[in-house]
Amino acid sequence: MFWVGIGHAGTLISAILYLFRAGFRTTIYRCAEAMTVFAIMTAGLFPILHLGRPWKFFWLIPYPNWRLIWPQFKSPLVWDVFAILTYLTVSATFLYLGLLPDFAAIRDRERDPLRKRIYGVLSFGWRNSDLEWRHFARAYLFLAAFSTPLVLSVHSTVSFDFAMANTPGWHATLFAPYFVAGAIFSGIGMVFTIIIPIRRWFNLKHYVTLNHLDAAAKLCLFTALVVATAYITEFFIGWYGGNEIEHSFWYNRVFGQWWWAAWIMLTCNTILPLTLFWQKLRRNTTWLFTLSLFINLGMWFERFVIFDPSLSHEFEPWQWTRYAPTYIDWAILLGSFGWFAMWFLLFIKNFPVVAIAEIKEIIPPPLRVAHAVEGIDVAGMHLEYEPETPGERD
Amino acid sequence: MEGIVGVFRELDATVDAVAAVKKLKAGDIRVYSPAPRHELEHLLNTGPSVVRRYTLIGGLLGATFGYWIPIWISDYWPLVVGGKVVPSWVPYTIISFELMVLIGSLATVLGLFVVSRIPRITMTVGYDERFSNANFGVWVECPPDRQTDVSDTLKKHGAVEVRGER
Repeated sequence: MFWVGIGHAGTLISAILYLFRAGFRTTIYRCAEAMTVFAIMTAGLFPILHLGRPWKFFWLIPYPNWRLIWPQFKSPLVWDVFAILTYLTVSATFLYLGLLPDFAAIRDRERDPLRKRIYGVLSFGWRNSDLEWRHFARAYLFLAAFSTPLVLSVHSTVSFDFAMANTPGWHATLFAPYFVAGAIFSGIGMVFTIIIPIRRWFNLKHYVTLNHLDAAAKLCLFTALVVATAYITEFFIGWYGGNEIEHSFWYNRVFGQWWWAAWIMLTCNTILPLTLFWQKLRRNTTWLFTLSLFINLGMWFERFVIFDPSLSHEFEPWQWTRYAPTYIDWAILLGSFGWFAMWFLLFIKNFPVVAIAEIKEIIPPPLRVAHAVEGIDVAGMHLEYEPETPGERD
Repeated sequence: MEGIVGVFRELDATVDAVAAVKKLKAGDIRVYSPAPRHELEHLLNTGPSVVRRYTLIGGLLGATFGYWIPIWISDYWPLVVGGKVVPSWVPYTIISFELMVLIGSLATVLGLFVVSRIPRITMTVGYDERFSNANFGVWVECPPDRQTDVSDTLKKHGAVEVRGER
């Protein structure tokens, strides 16, 4: 759930902001998209690990097996399989499609014959012709249009895994929007964690500008406020709903057995992001990076708080119990971060982390005759060069 | 397949050259640019992309299949609960939606590949590696007797290099 959530910001930035024509996405979306694909790959391991009989995971996929057994399509677990597999496939396709022209650019500049051959195969013989660009633009738009409802539906479907169960703290109609907002919020946190070091180490300050980070920080602040609203609504309904079981559960979650986890979550996800109301902090990369670590921590604890307090404080007192992670649990958690980091580092080593073709699209093209209106090219598109911006705190 | 390829450094020079070559009616024109440019698209006036048809058909097929398979399985192995109708369309809408997105997206990419004629095994004639970097290119597929006219027109409008290829 943590890793699926991480992936959502990538699709939001690459697809939804593409449809909204938000210019700040251009320089950060490639990293965010790659993060999405690797996060879903990581997330996909966990259901298999938790099945108990992991070698039978394919029983969830509908196919005419020899016993003629089919999955139960009314089960949220089956919806989850369809949602996650679709999300992985579409995200990977979307990422690869955007990479095609960039692979072609690398292929044409590469001098090593083997690498040139590899990038030639990866680019599928892309040639930047008007025919290819015309169909590419349309296909990219349609994939963005498909990805937009998909990103909203996937975490809604994940939330149904909980909301369909009659368990205190889970059985709520709020869960779908609450999960989607939380997923996007956690993903933006991870985008900052990834993009800020890359921007510094690869010296990409003139591509990933402070204005871009500022805009992304505003998005982060907005989703933090949505998440905070969801938390407050949950608490309010727990108190106002008149259900003694829910009331007891919520008290236990916030002030009882799990108070420490709940308050880590609340501090990291609702209080610290409020600092983004200040422009100086939105443009301070050190603070953005630090805050992103807190957001990652807070969103991990959000999932911990969703799982453990509910399962350890169900309807009957004999069901009330404790939970402490074993060293295997910690190893699986650390291993998932290692798996994710391995794929991401391989990606940034071999593939362009900034969308080359899209950057070329927004910079003014070379012209023989300067346009009459200063600062605007014949295409009517001009991205002003951003000089050293005051407030840089690297 | 033979013709003339011209390499340009500036966008406005490319636009002027394409307009002039179109007037010559010497043959099919293919324009290369490092990034999509609306000026070139408008000039070539090629109409809307047919990729949308693949998307529509793929999406409809996916949505239909997404309803059909759970309904068929429900009837094949009925689990009767409280006399309710066995196929339950509300949860099946989730399957239908996911398959609509999945098959629609894959059909879109298939459509892009088919209509753009990729994957391409060889780079074929009329392409230069500079076209993916910062330069623009114009390829005019024309018979030998028109090649001089085309070549002169491209040079006149600012081509930094013009060569015949076959």
